[in-house]
Amino acid sequence: MGKLAGALLALDKKAALAATEEALQSGTDPLALVDEARVGLAQVGEKYDSGEFFLMELMRAAQIFQAIAQVLNPKIVEAHGAVKTSGKVVLGTVAGDIHDLGKNIVKILLECRGIEVIDLGVDVKTAKFVEAVRVHAPQVLGMSALLTASVSEMNKNAEALEAAGLREGVKLIVGGGIVGEIDQSNLKVDYATVDANAGVRLIEQWISQRSTSSQP
Amino acid sequence: MLNMTKFERIEAAYRMEVPDRVPVAPILNYIPGYLAGLTIQEILTEPEKLVQATLKHIDIIGDSIDADQLLLDHLSMLGRGGWDQVTLDWRIFDDFPPKGNIPNLYEKPIIENYDDVFERGFAPYMFNRKLENKIWERSIDDFLYYQHEYRERYALAWRGFVEQTGIPLLKGGRACHPLDLLQYYRGIFNLTMDIYECPGKVHEFCEWMYQYEALHAMDIAMTFGAGEVPGADTIFFYNGGPPGMSPEIYDEFYWPYAKKMNDLWVTRGFKVWNHWDNDHTPFLETIKHVADGLPKGKIVMDFEKTDMKKAKQVLGGTVTIYGNVPSAMLVYGTPEDVDAYCKQLITDCAQGGGFILGSECEVPWDSNPENIRAMLRAAEKYNPY
Repeated sequence: MGKLAGALLALDKKAALAATEEALQSGTDPLALVDEARVGLAQVGEKYDSGEFFLMELMRAAQIFQAIAQVLNPKIVEAHGAVKTSGKVVLGTVAGDIHDLGKNIVKILLECRGIEVIDLGVDVKTAKFVEAVRVHAPQVLGMSALLTASVSEMNKNAEALEAAGLREGVKLIVGGGIVGEIDQSNLKVDYATVDANAGVRLIEQWISQRSTSSQP
Repeated sequence: MLNMTKFERIEAAYRMEVPDRVPVAPILNYIPGYLAGLTIQEILTEPEKLVQATLKHIDIIGDSIDADQLLLDHLSMLGRGGWDQVTLDWRIFDDFPPKGNIPNLYEKPIIENYDDVFERGFAPYMFNRKLENKIWERSIDDFLYYQHEYRERYALAWRGFVEQTGIPLLKGGRACHPLDLLQYYRGIFNLTMDIYECPGKVHEFCEWMYQYEALHAMDIAMTFGAGEVPGADTIFFYNGGPPGMSPEIYDEFYWPYAKKMNDLWVTRGFKVWNHWDNDHTPFLETIKHVADGLPKGKIVMDFEKTDMKKAKQVLGGTVTIYGNVPSAMLVYGTPEDVDAYCKQLITDCAQGGGFILGSECEVPWDSNPENIRAMLRAAEKYNPY
């Protein structure tokens, strides 16, 4: 494992930034450093999945990645012309609910993986979700909810997308404490999870599948 | 044979003695008012109506009543314990969802500079331009009313309830852990960054803030009649810290101040209801020490997502535990689901006393009342004593 990935795994921001600078000075391609940072982040994710790391450590790793990205992005633009994103996701907390911790964690982890996120915020009405899907054409729409009263909103949004002729073109994923406690077969979505990391991995997979299937 | 009053039963549970049956005390909050057809405005601002609503639905009340002193801080302007106008989605609707909404807590990064807070004081710091503008539409008379007269009116209404029904209060005062306050006033991402990048400041804030919160809690409890009104001497201490703490972060940043606050209250004659959300299973060996150095029978650990069977194994005989019928089950489940869940909880946790059957966090306003009644019935049906 490289120095940068190792520093990320150790949750050492100073060492990660130092390793980034050192590597840039020695002529390493900034894209290669982003890839190495993602390896470190993935390893943090594995420790989180195994229960060795907790949510705050996952968040810390994402923060360090963001700090590294702030250094690397201008270098990437300089060297390669643009910072490319691999896909697009719209996120929001459903109407009547203003909890956003899970949504924000998913957002930061997706951005670390080079996925563009359009964050609609909290208490998002159905019409706003539908409009966002229409305008941004994301591969995935993610909805977050914590409250018991929010479950019906998720299905309402899915039905509205269907009525607008947009459901076929977008994968729906829902997250938040409440989805872990209900019969998920009643949810009109493609996937439901209380695990932010698992959700992010699935979103990445969906985006990758869509990219592959759209290639000639 | 049931031969205890509700208060005696709760007190026996605190003392980890065997009561006449399993005490049961779901934390009800909005649901009695909702079932009685009150608006949210009425629930928050007219305590007499709220008490009447609760009397009307006495059949869903267990062995204690949560008078929900959080409502006092919903209307406060003084930047108190995290559930005030600074941190709430400060809109008091008439209607419940979907038309309206209940006040919701959410994070707003308000504290930008710890030193500024220390210099100006916490309450003055809250009066900055980041507050919702609507707060400034309130008059001085309004401010004074909700800080003083309203508290007395609220306490009087609930004192009347206790005198009429013999059902004790679940709590008299409430307080927030400084780390929970930082979650609300810095946001969880900023707080995570602070823990790693300026841990000294986090400690300084917690050290500085815990007494402010603890004293406020005792002040409210005295208004509610601590020492006179059964249950009013209990401090409801929430929310168990920000989610996702590792054991290392928990032991360094959460626990020392949680223990200090428990110690402060108990040594001054109060009881403590530690309402700790999220999953504290990884921290049970630390929590085992919550009553160290304190007289026995003064603390309840109210667990939301913690493994209750494990909690009983680790904490049994040390401190009373409470919990934890899931909120979603109370809304979407059946009375049979609730009955089975309660049966298992009682099997795992009730032996030898030191257990109160209850809800995971609060009972949602949209719960099926039959599910709450199933919980109350289960306490008698599966009585192991």
